[in-house]
Amino acid sequence: MHDQMAAVLPKPAPGLFWNPYLQIFLTVLLTAAAQILLKVGADTSAANNSIWSWLGVAELGSGWTWLGIFAFIASFGGWLYALRFLPLGLAFALTNGVHIFVPLGSWLFLGEHISLLRGSGILVIIAGILLLAQSVAKVEEKV
Amino acid sequence: MSLLAWTLVIISQLALVAGQIFLKRAMSRREHGGEKARGWIGTLVIGIATMTIWFLLWLGVMHQIELSKLMPLEGISPLLIVLGAAVFLHERLNWRGWAGVVLTCFGVLLVSAS
Repeated sequence: MHDQMAAVLPKPAPGLFWNPYLQIFLTVLLTAAAQILLKVGADTSAANNSIWSWLGVAELGSGWTWLGIFAFIASFGGWLYALRFLPLGLAFALTNGVHIFVPLGSWLFLGEHISLLRGSGILVIIAGILLLAQSVAKVEEKV
Repeated sequence: MSLLAWTLVIISQLALVAGQIFLKRAMSRREHGGEKARGWIGTLVIGIATMTIWFLLWLGVMHQIELSKLMPLEGISPLLIVLGAAVFLHERLNWRGWAGVVLTCFGVLLVSAS
């Protein structure tokens, strides 16, 4: 079952749009949008303690939730594409960029406050993503 | 918050890690071509099914628990996935990669602690 095929990574088609890192960035933006839409959907649907509410089915009554689901599906396409070319651990770590855009979007669209602590967390995430980018550059130098 | 809610959160995290590993295996098989490419759609379907379980649980707990309290658990998922990918997919990261993963997770914790 567990062979080394993940170690052999193919080259993507030329062109900026087919760059797997751009696709990860689009995935991140769409996922952040989806999270915010789902939050709006959850807030606008009636809260109750039925079993359906636990399973998240009650939220399906809200159009916002469906918009969020569509954004998730679109982000999924970009994610599957990126997985063809990038190692899972690295690609998934890059999706932490969602945590930059969710607070920013919540501030812009939901009026949530960004505290000093949250702002510094965003800067730490950016530093981490820059390190990941450097790690990629080192790996690709060797190939 | 109730024990049930947090149990569902943990199950959803496990589903996330397992689902991503299935997805990656499916896409690697597809890319590999030949004999190994066979059955990649089956693996993809298992991955999508596992991710659907994660998604519904996540949607449900989001109703019960504040997003800001859920985010720290989301924050450690990249670490879990890097570990899962190392064990099941034999992926290796260099020290910059590890430092980057740890730093982004720490940043997510800071974001969610506020």
